Amino acid sequence: MLKSALINLSMNRPKTVFWGVFLLVVLAGLQIPSIKVDTDPENMLPHDNAARLFHDQVKQTFGLHDMIVLGVVNTGEQGIYNRQSLTELQTLSEAIVGMEGVISQDLMSLDRVDNISQLSSDSDGPGTIRFEWMMKQVPQDQAGIDQIRTAVERLPLLNNTLVSGDGQAAGIYIPIVKKSESYRISNLIQTEIDNLKGSSEYYISGLPVAEDTFGVEMFIQMAISAPLAGLMIFILMWFFFRSLLLISAPMIVAMGSVIITMGLLIGQGYTVHIMSSMIPIFLMPIAVVDSVHILSEFADRYRPGEDPKAALKEVLSHLFTPMLFTSVTSAVGFASLAFTPIPPVQIFGLHVAFGIMLAFLLTIVLVPAYIISLSPKRMAQLQDHNIEEDDRSRLGRLLSYTGRFSIAKAKTLLVLFVLVIVGSGYGVAQIQINDNPVRWFKSDHPLRVADRVMNHHFPGTYNAFLVLDKSGDLKTELLQSLNDRAAEQGVDLQPQLAGVSGEDFTAYSDELINLFDQLSYDDADNESLWLALLDLTEQAQSEGKYFLTPEALQYLDNLQNYLDGSEYIGKSNGLPTLLKTVYRELQGGEQEQYRLPSNATAAAQTILSFQSSHRPDDLWHMVTPDYRSTVLWLQLSSGDNQDMSQVLALVDAYVAEHPLPQDVKLNWAGLTYINVVWQDAMVNGMLKSLMGAFVMVLVMMVLLFRSVKIGLLSMLPLTVTILFIYGLIGVIGKDYDMPIAVLSALTLGLSVDFAIHFLERTRAIYRRCGDWQQTVNEVYKGPSRAISRNAVVVAIGFTPLLFAPLVPYITVGFFLATIMAVSAVVTIVLLPAVMQMISNKDALFGVKKDQLEKEKSHV
Amino acid sequence: MFKHFLSIALAGVLGLTTAVQAEELTDVNEIVKKANVASYYRGDDGRSEARMLIEDAQGRKQQRQFTILRRDHADGGDQQFLVVFSRPADVRNTVFLVEKHAQGDDDRWLYLPGLDLVKRISAGDKRTSFVGSHFFYEDVSGRNLSDDNHRLLETNAEHYVLESSAKNAASVEFSRYQVWIEKSSMLPVKIEYYNANDKLYRRVEVLATETIQGFPTVTKSKVSDLLSGASTTMEFRFIRYDLGMETAVFSERSLRNPPRQWLKRPKQ
Repeated sequence: MLKSALINLSMNRPKTVFWGVFLLVVLAGLQIPSIKVDTDPENMLPHDNAARLFHDQVKQTFGLHDMIVLGVVNTGEQGIYNRQSLTELQTLSEAIVGMEGVISQDLMSLDRVDNISQLSSDSDGPGTIRFEWMMKQVPQDQAGIDQIRTAVERLPLLNNTLVSGDGQAAGIYIPIVKKSESYRISNLIQTEIDNLKGSSEYYISGLPVAEDTFGVEMFIQMAISAPLAGLMIFILMWFFFRSLLLISAPMIVAMGSVIITMGLLIGQGYTVHIMSSMIPIFLMPIAVVDSVHILSEFADRYRPGEDPKAALKEVLSHLFTPMLFTSVTSAVGFASLAFTPIPPVQIFGLHVAFGIMLAFLLTIVLVPAYIISLSPKRMAQLQDHNIEEDDRSRLGRLLSYTGRFSIAKAKTLLVLFVLVIVGSGYGVAQIQINDNPVRWFKSDHPLRVADRVMNHHFPGTYNAFLVLDKSGDLKTELLQSLNDRAAEQGVDLQPQLAGVSGEDFTAYSDELINLFDQLSYDDADNESLWLALLDLTEQAQSEGKYFLTPEALQYLDNLQNYLDGSEYIGKSNGLPTLLKTVYRELQGGEQEQYRLPSNATAAAQTILSFQSSHRPDDLWHMVTPDYRSTVLWLQLSSGDNQDMSQVLALVDAYVAEHPLPQDVKLNWAGLTYINVVWQDAMVNGMLKSLMGAFVMVLVMMVLLFRSVKIGLLSMLPLTVTILFIYGLIGVIGKDYDMPIAVLSALTLGLSVDFAIHFLERTRAIYRRCGDWQQTVNEVYKGPSRAISRNAVVVAIGFTPLLFAPLVPYITVGFFLATIMAVSAVVTIVLLPAVMQMISNKDALFGVKKDQLEKEKSHV
Repeated sequence: MFKHFLSIALAGVLGLTTAVQAEELTDVNEIVKKANVASYYRGDDGRSEARMLIEDAQGRKQQRQFTILRRDHADGGDQQFLVVFSRPADVRNTVFLVEKHAQGDDDRWLYLPGLDLVKRISAGDKRTSFVGSHFFYEDVSGRNLSDDNHRLLETNAEHYVLESSAKNAASVEFSRYQVWIEKSSMLPVKIEYYNANDKLYRRVEVLATETIQGFPTVTKSKVSDLLSGASTTMEFRFIRYDLGMETAVFSERSLRNPPRQWLKRPKQ
């Protein structure tokens, strides 16, 4: 019904078809300028993902911002501790502080942090503590500079964070308002760097820059490789057909599909993510294949002078079902990505699926309309191009040899394939699941270089945050004890408490204190009650400050010591670090005083002393003002998910052995951690997608062939291929990262096409001739050539990706091309061998004896 | 009640007469001097209880309470301060002692009862945070007038508007600041600080004043960190002048043994 309606529409009203498609393309094309690129890996998780919400909440609670890390490196004798380097550092830091989008008050650099020290001249008396800028001005002489070095090396929070342990690198930590600004800001910084003419080297690093830069380069990449892919396909088809006339139609179908699909995606308001940016490159090769089929067959059947409509109708009715099925299977492969709980991957999968179905539709309506609109003269020209290759061509001979080989050595081949599968299974077990957005750049990219240099000097530029929360309902407990105490004296507190409204416990209890304080003054009759309540409230408030208690601090300190001993963690910074440092300075500065205050009051007063500095608010990056949540900042030298997973395992092991104090919860935040979360979600999701796609494609195959056996057979080549490719990835040690994960499900839909064509033709030929040997001979002529050619078109269609400057594109291009090629080979070699081993061919191909006889008598 | 009313009425009359009588000042140094005395040197000594509410950029509030005792050697000259913390309870009886010198660096001591520790705090920089608030030490005890160059920008009906910049620019974080001095009380009621990029980043403002024992006195002021959006509000209560405190009240001995007599809240 639908089929004939579509075909009639396209042949009878070609102009309507052209205009309709044209309008759609224009409409969609108009959406494209409002494109928004999004490369934020955080968006790999849905906005309401628990880990992501927690990460955002931690950033908010502790005032943590995404950071650009600028490295100043001088490998000379004095490292960065020379006047020139330090002056440049200060120049840069001053310039950066003035930049829009930089959170200036939180910027960390040698010239913007405090030094806490002893005043050396003061030998007797109570001892003098000094809070001063570490480097308000660059000292004139080397002695002054050396003093800075000594001071930095004394302060654990600064040493190896602001200046590397080897003294050769200094860091400027630049917190920014929005991650998406980091490319712009890093360019501004680069401009400032270019204005310097010193002997130091400068490196801009940090995950936010990597992510934002990737977005910018991705945009350029898209603008280059999509047209390049188009050009590549054009050249390829020219090579095969040598006729502009023939090539135009598929090119129009491809362009139309790409523009409408991208317009649809952008028009719906979706951002273009790494995967979505590859849509044009995926769609183009897939879109041209069907039109090539139609044109080839039409050119075969059409004789000049005949009614082209009749020939077309015949071609279309013949091709409609296989084209529909190959399109649907490909679409299903992509659409199965919707099972992965990663929104950008879902959007990618569904839109490519849409694009494939659209390409099918456009092929069915546009190509016939195109042919009908050709003048008879041009139509005649179609004939001049011999589309079918000669059997004696190199490819022809190779294929026919392959056919004979495959049948003759069927047993050996099967054993070989079983071995390959076993080997692949082993390889798959070796797969290293790992990713790191910085590695999305090639290894000579400035960001990769900066990453290497910075992590060579510093303990790490990747951040993970370990958050400990103490739970408990302080407010209810306090109110209970207050009411009890008031009841003893027959006083009802409710009227007094009605006006107290503090949001959190600190504010609430502060208000209570003010209230009771005032009442004790105003209401002299009940003074003792109000003072008692005041005491209760103050006590509750002090006791509520959990992370000032020795128990909590000791746990944190032990955990930090444990973490610092691990090779995966460069350095940890936390409240114990700060407390021990300030305590040491209060006690005279000797190293044996580097320890935790002995009780909560001492800790509170140590903190009060710290707060007399220039940057008292740095404290709140480590602990909340109610002292019920604290965060350890871990500096990791590797942003690999694998290494972060090791860190997670380390902490889990520690907590298992040293249980957390009562009512204390431990959680993770930080971009490096978020990357692990979405990777895990993706790996699990991909398995679901793969299974989903496998089952759906299998069901479709069974329906298409109306045979369970052939349906299963058709799944064989792609199963072997995917297993082999992933086994290979495991064996050669290539990390299983995002692009590789995404490939699995979608190749399933793409590579089954070969099996469909191959089995369809094999069965048709066998049903006609009833002889297996003859069937094999014939199959290795026409059909195998068509399959090989299509494999080449699709595989080569993806090769522009190989020239991409960004690694995920190269990965996708390389593996797609490999998968296409391998699955074509496996189809052609393995399927006949397997069928050779199935003795009852009649049953396999559903041939009834009498039917065969009848067909034979026709011949 | 009647007495209270009378004092307000009197203050009003007094305020009016000063406004009428006061000649318009044109010498910037004289304005600065008078403002300095008006804000930091009222009476020969004084006490007040401060309640500080620190509000961070997220709206989280913390409170601190302390009593300030002050004794002047001479108006505009040397002074002594004793700051004794009462809340939160875990910093109770933490004490700051300051010997402020009109010429030269101040002497500062700190006593931490939880560590039973007396420390001197190096003179150095006084533009550091006062116990984690947005007030600087200098805002509490006063900035040395001779550290800055002052310029009278404008004189309007109510205010003298001054602009000042540090003589030693490297010693401070501001490039310049503007002060609005209320003519009637000679109290600076608003100060705005600009950074090296000439961006307004910090504001100190008076939210309430009261006349106490005849002296116009700031009872509520606020410092806003305009970059982060955080602020600290300080309220002064139970203010008394001319109590007759001795210099011994401000000795190092008071660090460990705060003078109860003067810390006790006066009865109404």
